[in-house]
Amino acid sequence: MASVITLNAVDYTVIAGYILVMILVGYSLKKYMKTGEDFFLSGRSLPSWITGLAFLSANLGALEVIGMVANSAKYGIATIHFYWVGAIPAMVFLGIFMMPFYYGSRVKTVPEYLKLRYNEATRGLNAISFAIMTVLMSGISLYAMALLFKLMLGWSLTGSILFAAVVVLLYVFWGGLSSSIYNEVIQFFLIWLGLLPIVFLGLKDVGGFAGFAAKLKEPLLHSVKYLGTSNNPLGVDWFGVVMGLGFVLSFGYWTTDFLVVQRALASKNLNAARMTPIIASFPKMLVPVIVVIPGLVALLVLPEFSQAGLPATEYNSALILLMKHYLPNGILGLAITALLASFMSGMAGNVTAFNTIWTYDIYGSYIKKGKPDSHYLKMGKYATVFGVAVSVGTAYIVQSFPNLMDYMQLVFSFFNAPLFATFLLGMFWAGATAWGGFFGLLVGILTAAGHYILFKAGVLHYASDMAANFYQAWWAWLADFVVTIGVSLFTKKRDPAELKGLVFGLTPRTKAAARWLARPEVWGTLAVIIAVILNVIFW
Amino acid sequence: MNEKIETKGQHTEQGKGHFLDLKLPIGWLLSAYGVLLGIYGLVTDKEMYQKSLGFNLNLSWGVLMLLIGAGFLLAAFLKKDKERARPQ
Repeated sequence: MASVITLNAVDYTVIAGYILVMILVGYSLKKYMKTGEDFFLSGRSLPSWITGLAFLSANLGALEVIGMVANSAKYGIATIHFYWVGAIPAMVFLGIFMMPFYYGSRVKTVPEYLKLRYNEATRGLNAISFAIMTVLMSGISLYAMALLFKLMLGWSLTGSILFAAVVVLLYVFWGGLSSSIYNEVIQFFLIWLGLLPIVFLGLKDVGGFAGFAAKLKEPLLHSVKYLGTSNNPLGVDWFGVVMGLGFVLSFGYWTTDFLVVQRALASKNLNAARMTPIIASFPKMLVPVIVVIPGLVALLVLPEFSQAGLPATEYNSALILLMKHYLPNGILGLAITALLASFMSGMAGNVTAFNTIWTYDIYGSYIKKGKPDSHYLKMGKYATVFGVAVSVGTAYIVQSFPNLMDYMQLVFSFFNAPLFATFLLGMFWAGATAWGGFFGLLVGILTAAGHYILFKAGVLHYASDMAANFYQAWWAWLADFVVTIGVSLFTKKRDPAELKGLVFGLTPRTKAAARWLARPEVWGTLAVIIAVILNVIFW
Repeated sequence: MNEKIETKGQHTEQGKGHFLDLKLPIGWLLSAYGVLLGIYGLVTDKEMYQKSLGFNLNLSWGVLMLLIGAGFLLAAFLKKDKERARPQ
């Protein structure tokens, strides 16, 4: 099959330049990796602008970008809910209210917090499910990358998989979390520089926002106006968007997913850790510029998108087709490099989160306890090799059974949905008991699975799969919340002295930073105000 | 263990703790991209830029990247100078 895009020597030079810099950065970090903390948490030494941009980029993977451009072509302006409703409030909440407990208690991982706050069983449930999901996700995105590059550029599937895996392995093996974070920051700049030309040319081509208003159907142009019922492009009503996406899914992901929280834990002090997600929230608000605008432009300029009734998967090619449509060789190489960088940094992020959870929460807690630090550092390096190997294996398995990918993502959603209830009660209600936490989480996971079965069996009806997904998250969260409280009322309370530093009200308030300009509260409030204004503008 | 982390934290406050100044690789990479694409833009002819609505995207975007990259390098070198000037 002929490839969609043809690259020339200049494009390949741009790609090679990026790979070279990544390998050099990884290699130059090698000599600093002396302790476990250096390798797994960057020695808790990074300034907040670096952790903040990495926090954002860890989530801005290539699949995310391609998927959101596709969503924008499908749902229009409403896609901004994934940013201004579905991310900003949660990121600010994490920075202002939750980070003092994560960073202040000096835990190394999110599951470790669950152990201190609840018990070993709760940690185990979270750590094992997270480790498995992370490493499988890494394999899924590796396969997705290889497939994309095969269809678009004609690269060999095996070649892409092995090449990306070896580069990621090298730099994570040498530099641990630092390599991963540095790659994410570089990716942050590349993705903006690579995609902004499409935004400029697209806007000029269609006649700016006035062009959208004149040529697109009315429901595609509003984010909130049609949310009164589920009769809108998303097929979700306001309750599903606000509670399902904005509250449960968003808070569950941004505040408890170790992949993102790990970046904040690498900060040099508590104030920098609290600033991490808040700094990230500002560029996050601007991401719709590089995903929503191209999605809308695609509808108007690409001949492939002019006919009605496209099959859903076709939307995913919107971004690549726009690159082909607008970008000459040279800049084209830069845009492809941006995609490659976000695939590889996504994989590196998964691998570093996996090696940390495996080493501290599984190996160091259940298999070999109390070994010297150097032993765990070595284990982290082995886990990196193992994680990459399993990712490659998963990529090949998914290649033979593409449906498996959907099933895996489905199962992951069962585990993620209820988590935020467990953390919310843990951090803000001293009365939540150890077994309350465990059974709440377990019932939440089972509720999500049960809801899915009832939906598929036709017992529950929703206007769209997305609505089902949002409501599934909401019910799972509620079940976790109610069961945690219920079980807590009948089980033995923890001694308040043990919970010092872990629960709001039992922890001395953090001292305000000296200058008001350095305070997370100030910037967090500003972020929320801007997000509200943006929502009103695009009502 | 905790004490060691604290001292490391204090080093960082003085601006030399974290492993490597990330402004350098970002600066070099973007500057190199800027030079490469800028030159490519100068030597390529107009027909190639029909798809980008007539803009010589390689030249203009190359110059922009060179400026951003140079900005990062400048910031990194200024910081290094300041550290050197500080009495030990």
